[in-house]
Amino acid sequence: MHVPWILKHKPKTLSEVVGNEDAKRKIFQWVQSWSKGVPKKRALFLYGSPGTGKTVSIEALANDLEMELVQSNASDYRTAEAVERFAGRASQYGTLSGKRRLILFDELDGITGTADRGGLSVITEIVKKTCSPIVLTANNAYDPRFSTLRNYCELMEFKKFTRTQVEKHLKRICSIEGLEAEDAALKLIAERASGDVRSAVNDLQALAQGKERLTYDDVSWLASRDRKEVIFNVLRSIFYAKDSLMAKDAVDMADVDPDMLLEWIYENTPYHVKDPKELAAVMEMLALADIYRGRIASTQNWSLMRYFIDFVTAGVAASWSKKSPGWVPFKFPTRISQMSSSRAYRQMLSAIGMKVGKRCHVSSARAVKEILPYMRVIFESNHEMGAGLAKWFDLDEDMINYLAKK
Amino acid sequence: MWTEKYRPHSLDDIVNQEEIVNRLKSFVKAQNVPHCIFAGPPGTGKTTAAICLAHDLYGEGYREHVMELNASDERGINVVRETVKTFARTRSIGEVTFKILILDEADNMTSDAQQALRRTMERYTETARFILIANYSGKIIEPIQSRCAPFRFTYLAREDVVKRIHRISQNEGLTISEDGVAAILEISGGDLRRTINVLQTAASVGKPIDAGTVYSVVGRANPYDVREMMITALNGDFAEARNKLREMILKYGLAGSDIMGQVHSEAFRLNVPDKWKIKLADIIGEIDYRLIQGSNEEIQLSALLAKLVEAGAEIKRGY
Repeated sequence: MHVPWILKHKPKTLSEVVGNEDAKRKIFQWVQSWSKGVPKKRALFLYGSPGTGKTVSIEALANDLEMELVQSNASDYRTAEAVERFAGRASQYGTLSGKRRLILFDELDGITGTADRGGLSVITEIVKKTCSPIVLTANNAYDPRFSTLRNYCELMEFKKFTRTQVEKHLKRICSIEGLEAEDAALKLIAERASGDVRSAVNDLQALAQGKERLTYDDVSWLASRDRKEVIFNVLRSIFYAKDSLMAKDAVDMADVDPDMLLEWIYENTPYHVKDPKELAAVMEMLALADIYRGRIASTQNWSLMRYFIDFVTAGVAASWSKKSPGWVPFKFPTRISQMSSSRAYRQMLSAIGMKVGKRCHVSSARAVKEILPYMRVIFESNHEMGAGLAKWFDLDEDMINYLAKK
Repeated sequence: MWTEKYRPHSLDDIVNQEEIVNRLKSFVKAQNVPHCIFAGPPGTGKTTAAICLAHDLYGEGYREHVMELNASDERGINVVRETVKTFARTRSIGEVTFKILILDEADNMTSDAQQALRRTMERYTETARFILIANYSGKIIEPIQSRCAPFRFTYLAREDVVKRIHRISQNEGLTISEDGVAAILEISGGDLRRTINVLQTAASVGKPIDAGTVYSVVGRANPYDVREMMITALNGDFAEARNKLREMILKYGLAGSDIMGQVHSEAFRLNVPDKWKIKLADIIGEIDYRLIQGSNEEIQLSALLAKLVEAGAEIKRGY
């Protein structure tokens, strides 16, 4: 079973958390101040881009101070009743063990209007009268939805990591995993992550797991890709969506190219969906999406794109039981990288096909399909005959080497 | 390439398709050729017949009066508007006053290009005659068909192919066993181009040719295995089956339609209950139809593999 490196190498104490020294010190002081009495603002609102260490800092702090951490994140339902059930009591009463308690509402941006109706106002009510410290996290604290809640919170920003900080973190993981990585490779991963440690670690794992060495070439194609973390989140939200609307929303949340999204889902489906019936059903959805893609291409009617999206998101989510086979890392669409790495190869094929086709009175495509396979065998097994053919077809050296598999 | 070395130059050298050859000879005699459609399966002599006709009509310098275009390579409407028109509108000098334009793989022309061609054929009949070559005449639009004399080429008879194999073997000094000939026949059907390609490849290995040599070179020429891919899927390993599919597409340049053709013929040879074979045919046919509608063949073919995975699981449970 794969263990995500982001969990495996998570900092255990606050001192191990990289960066944001100022914020970390302030959080520590604020939590400690509760022992002298309830502060004016009973909640801390940590905000900042994904992967800047908000959640990790709180978890490490709870660990350092031996506090009981009660947390809820976007994967939990957060309707009014659910929030009340989860935090209503916890905010009022002490723990059985006598430990102090820390309440964490993680990923507040993930609270949706329809599925989590009333959740935010209940959270606000709980914050007003809580007896235990509460921490909230979100990417954007200035979302209008949080305007009331914000009044009752101490705001604290988590800044993005610098490239060097991210690189340092990656290096630490490499040495623990016994992975030899070129500096240039780590540098590119760190750069691409633009301050998001989680994304960088996930990238590193996806690219390096099972390898002993990671070279710049292994990662160079990252340079032209969308932000991975964005994609990973979208994929997770689609594959494991609670309902069809959530699956559809996942695409609106992030600016992901729909064609690329299809490639990602298509690549990863077999590693998540294991049941044969469900696998066939999910693939059928992707095939239907592809038919809409074909219709768009032939009619240039781009408004049909919404149906394409329906099949790729809601269609996929609704076609399987979402019994996760354990944590599975998302894979990069290999089709894309294979296509680009085989482009030169295919160009070579059609160049030879052109020459052969002209002399054999067939199209280059037919020459590639019907004549080249035999020529390969001839070039491998009979140099004299191969040389004769090369001359007759006027093939250049590259072409000959290709046919002779040199 | 032996296919070219042994390609007949004159209608007299063509040993098969007798009726067609006789009609073409009468055209030569009359020094007049109508627009023609040569339709039929690959390797049955369509292109050869067209070239021989031109040769016999104009003599050795026939190339000056003939243009050969392959519509798969130059399939757009612009080719018709420019290349074809420029060629067609000038008069040929000599006894025969028209030129011949051979349009190979014409069934791959876009319908726009075919529409444009129809006018061109009409306007320049005086100066140019068209020979359209296609696997399926049905893919040529009606208005063009009605302007052309149709010729249907059929697969070569067994004994004609055998004669050809022996003639080439003799000329090249090859030793070929009886079962070697039979193996070549089985692999290539009545397709003479494939027959000769297989023969030359087998000869390149340099031993006396027997069935073993033939099967081994054909196996080396086509190392992908559609049957293997299907069995992998039926056994439940979708990811691996998909890898095999990708290899066929990317490494060997197979088109979706080629793969579907093989998938279909393998389906009935699989070790699955008979009632499943016809169910599979339905599934395969549906996906085959979708290949044209969709935009990404691999995704459609993968959906087929996933259906095979599903079918495999149900067969195992005894359905």
